[in-house]
Amino acid sequence: MSLILGYVATLLVTFFTYNIFVIGLNIQFGYAGILNFTVITFMAFGAYFYAVFVMPHADNSSQIFYILGLHWPWPLAMLAGIVASGALGYLIGLIALKRLRSDYLAIVTLATGTLVYGLFGNNNKLFDGWSGLFNVNQPFQSVATNHPNQFSWIFVVFSGLIMVVVWLFANRLYASPLGRSMRAIREDQDVVDSFGKNSFKFRMMAMVIGSLIVGIGGVLTIQYIGALSPAGWTTGETFVVWAALLVGGRANNLGAILGSLLVAVVFNEATRYIPQVPSHPNLIPNLRNMIIGSLVILSIWFRPQGVFPERKASFLEVPLVDKYAQGFPGDEPDSALSPAASEA
Amino acid sequence: MPKSILEVKGVKLAFGGVHAIDDCSFHIEEGTITALIGPNGAGKSTMVNVISGTYRPDEGHVIFDGKDVTRLPNYVRAQHGLLRTFQISREFANMTVLENLLVVRQGQTGESLFGALFRAKRWHAQTRELVAEANEILNTFGLYRLRNEYAGNLSGGQKRLVELSRAVMAKPRLLLLDEPMAGVTPALIERLGNHIVELNTELGITFVLVEHNLEVVEKICSRVVVMALGKQLADGTLAELRSNQEVIDAYLGGGAHERVGS
Repeated sequence: MSLILGYVATLLVTFFTYNIFVIGLNIQFGYAGILNFTVITFMAFGAYFYAVFVMPHADNSSQIFYILGLHWPWPLAMLAGIVASGALGYLIGLIALKRLRSDYLAIVTLATGTLVYGLFGNNNKLFDGWSGLFNVNQPFQSVATNHPNQFSWIFVVFSGLIMVVVWLFANRLYASPLGRSMRAIREDQDVVDSFGKNSFKFRMMAMVIGSLIVGIGGVLTIQYIGALSPAGWTTGETFVVWAALLVGGRANNLGAILGSLLVAVVFNEATRYIPQVPSHPNLIPNLRNMIIGSLVILSIWFRPQGVFPERKASFLEVPLVDKYAQGFPGDEPDSALSPAASEA
Repeated sequence: MPKSILEVKGVKLAFGGVHAIDDCSFHIEEGTITALIGPNGAGKSTMVNVISGTYRPDEGHVIFDGKDVTRLPNYVRAQHGLLRTFQISREFANMTVLENLLVVRQGQTGESLFGALFRAKRWHAQTRELVAEANEILNTFGLYRLRNEYAGNLSGGQKRLVELSRAVMAKPRLLLLDEPMAGVTPALIERLGNHIVELNTELGITFVLVEHNLEVVEKICSRVVVMALGKQLADGTLAELRSNQEVIDAYLGGGAHERVGS
């Protein structure tokens, strides 16, 4: 029983953190149209920086090296991790957002991710190289001493609360004039500029806000697991987040929830617990990627907008008397506005 | 003497070896509707891009409302009231017609992050006012019933009307229209023309039209600036220009092919 409870708690935390990743990506891609192909690097940034701020100074005799080691209290370290992730988003934005868009921007993000991956992996003085950081201080340890599940369930509530805050934030942003401007940039950046709005500023905002939110998810991940190595944030993980957003529905945070439940929890996490086939140790992970890939193909084929498409905006309004109500558009034989006439 | 709202002084712009604009100067008077005509390749669209700030000229100045805006980026010029539309309709396709209009208004409280998050009451109230205002504009243009339709689903002619009503929503002082009548049926051309005249007389918006349809130009424009080979060739009313030999050679009389070939 306690094993099942622990398992359910882990699945819930995974669901909540992935949901936070997907909402972060949704703000970048679904709102502002920024193709960020290295979502998981921001997660790693948040996680690693949380770790080095919260852990005590590295003990050189143990042959484990990492920078800083400030031993801050965990809420402060959490903030530091989130800010670090946002700072990476700002840096990429400075380099790429001013001049590049769509595919070219995607290439820059992908390249940055690969660069960071190689740098963090090969340089064992930064975050202990390929072996990664472990024994990272977890929050709530002083209150959760009786049973391992106690920590897990406290953390379910903690991450759930954060997810709710992120969700409310993202929805308010979407409905606000700021979100509307971001969506207009997604549609046509030059037009937004020509109407007196600095599209670079809005895109940078979306980039940084999205990075901060993904960073929150990263901090939660390492707080829960207590360890992270580069094997945990390979490029493939980015596409799990992307798959969740595309299947669930971009520019709709309800889609983000459904997508992260389906892709990240049901297909990605639950299949980790299928027993291994001894003769083919990679069978299950490969199968998992194939299933997620086909899910994306199927959803783009049959429902390109995702399960929950972007909702049409509606406003409270006082109805007007339609000046053209009578006999429009079909009143004149060569009506100016009938689709057939104006398509020519 | 009427005040000139826009002055283009000695603008030069080359793309590699092509001198798209070669020492061009003219001015636009406030409150008028002026046409910018000329043969293909005369540099009209490039001029629109220079005036609106998409391109920066190699030499020369663009002066809007007494202020040198040559070095200002396009969005700052737009904030001063210098707006443009594009040769092809560029609506925000996956947003409703109403949203297309709401986006473009400047200075909304909810456009800063702080405002969006913590001043929801205020921007909700603003949005309600803007919706009412936008609906009035849409009603004038006959788009009211389509207000909750995705702009991308409209027909070509309707998209033209969305472009114009969206520009009106942004409260321009000078509006550059880059071939507003391109690909539009005769009936709608007349309606668009009437709308432009109405906006000019009622709201005092100054218009500059790049236009090939000389009938329209004759009907609604009080003054015409002719460009050829990147230079300003002549200006005046269309009737005056019809007797100008240079203009006839370059454009009206069909001598254009010789110049293109030379």
